[in-house]
Amino acid sequence: MPPSLRRPRPHTQFTDLFLIQLSNFRWSWRGMVVTGMLAPILATASLGAFAGRDQESLTYVLCGSIVLSLMFQNQNNVAANFGFMKAMGTLDFFATLPVHRSLVILATVLAFFALSIPSLVATAVLGMVILGVHLSISPLVLLVVPLCVLPMAGIGALIGITVRSPAEAGSVSMLVTLLLLFMGPVILPPDRLPDWMIAVSHVSPTSYAASAIRQVLIGPVTGQVWLDMAALALVTAVTLWGVGHKLPWHQK
Amino acid sequence: MTVAYRVENLVKRYPRQDVLAVDGMSFEIAEGEIFGLLGDNGAGKTTLVRQLVGLLRPTSGRIELFGRDVVKDAGFVSTVIGYMPQSTSALNRLTVGEAVYFAAHLRGMSRRDARRERDELLELWRIAAIGHKVSTDLSGGQRRLLQLAVATAGRAPVLILDEPTNDLDPVNKKHVWEVLRDFNQQRGTTILLVTHDAVEAEKAIQRVGIVQRGRFTALGTPAQLKTAIAQKLKVHLTFPPDDPPVLPFGVVPQEESEGSSLLMLDRDEAAELLGKLDLRKITDIRMTSTTLEDLYLHYAS
Repeated sequence: MPPSLRRPRPHTQFTDLFLIQLSNFRWSWRGMVVTGMLAPILATASLGAFAGRDQESLTYVLCGSIVLSLMFQNQNNVAANFGFMKAMGTLDFFATLPVHRSLVILATVLAFFALSIPSLVATAVLGMVILGVHLSISPLVLLVVPLCVLPMAGIGALIGITVRSPAEAGSVSMLVTLLLLFMGPVILPPDRLPDWMIAVSHVSPTSYAASAIRQVLIGPVTGQVWLDMAALALVTAVTLWGVGHKLPWHQK
Repeated sequence: MTVAYRVENLVKRYPRQDVLAVDGMSFEIAEGEIFGLLGDNGAGKTTLVRQLVGLLRPTSGRIELFGRDVVKDAGFVSTVIGYMPQSTSALNRLTVGEAVYFAAHLRGMSRRDARRERDELLELWRIAAIGHKVSTDLSGGQRRLLQLAVATAGRAPVLILDEPTNDLDPVNKKHVWEVLRDFNQQRGTTILLVTHDAVEAEKAIQRVGIVQRGRFTALGTPAQLKTAIAQKLKVHLTFPPDDPPVLPFGVVPQEESEGSSLLMLDRDEAAELLGKLDLRKITDIRMTSTTLEDLYLHYAS
């Protein structure tokens, strides 16, 4: 038997796959500007005008816009990317290399998170300036933001690998974004929503994400943040397990 | 002889399909062999290849690569093969140089070796001038050469190439066959390839399987398969349309058009033809024995 190839160590596999996925900035930067920055900032400005001077409403608008930016940049882009990789044979190609599928998923999700950071910062800073909301940032933000991103990326990845085409991935992910955004106290305070919507929001990860982001950016941080993070971690675990299970790797 | 691939009673049935995509195939590929798969579109070649690289699980049957089960030991397969899929878009967010470098590095080369490998392969596959370009900006032929560079990066001992010469011009096609033959002779690389390019492939392929409806209709060396069909020589004549050559008595063209004729002759008839033909009146004359393309057309029909 001829000498086989050397399987690269996990950190080498991860680094290469992460850099390969970072090359997506070549197509995603336009989307980052339009949907990751302009759309959330326009939403901030217009909803802020309706909110008037009510500080609680302004807080919801700012944090809701940040969640919107994270959804566009993570859920939608990850869905588009997995849909594209499936359609173009990239996943097949990775499956024939000596790399582990979980590292392909992790590298993709984290690369899109890294690509979303400029939009996140721009939305937070410009939103704060436009709305005049004072930020009181907790160190927990370093835990909360990744925990908000991961379930969204997991949902995006699930959409990308289960639909039939990249175009379908885009439209399904947009529909899910709108449902998750408006089915709960994400952009609007709970007292402006009907009771049934509040009930539904308990199963929506964006409600927990918005709650956690409000606490770590505006304050005060309460015990609720741990519940929010636990819920987000649970959705992350379930969605990423689902992605690993459904990823077309060695198909039946 | 070491067996690289051993395939036994391989069957693949896709869900909700009545017809089997692969219908009980059994064959072996020796280490260091160049094995070609020929067949019509939809004959089952790509399904077979995807099973050989572990991308698709067989419905039944068994595939062994150097004695190890491809389904149970998929991790091993990825450390032995370099695979080129039919699609040319797998890494099309990367530049040409990045795609080759990452393929070599992920196949276990050190960073320095992967960089050297990238530079050598870009030269070898004639894509050094476009090394900085993103794959989406390349022509179909350039993408195919990039796919070949990516598949061969890292020096896997087994190459599996699905239609490696599609989209290529005649000069690059010839170059691809030369490089593959060179890999086989210099490095002992085992190569399995799917192709429609039977004429050019004949220069490289050592054994061939002709696939139809998920089965082999012929399997063997080109020489073995040729002995099974008529030993005729093919003679193409081209001449001025207003001055056709006089053919020996009894020689009747199989196909005729204005200014050209195709003759199918026994060997002694061919010698007689050459002796009697006034070559000053012939623009072009080509004589060939049975080609791989003839075999393909014979067995595929």
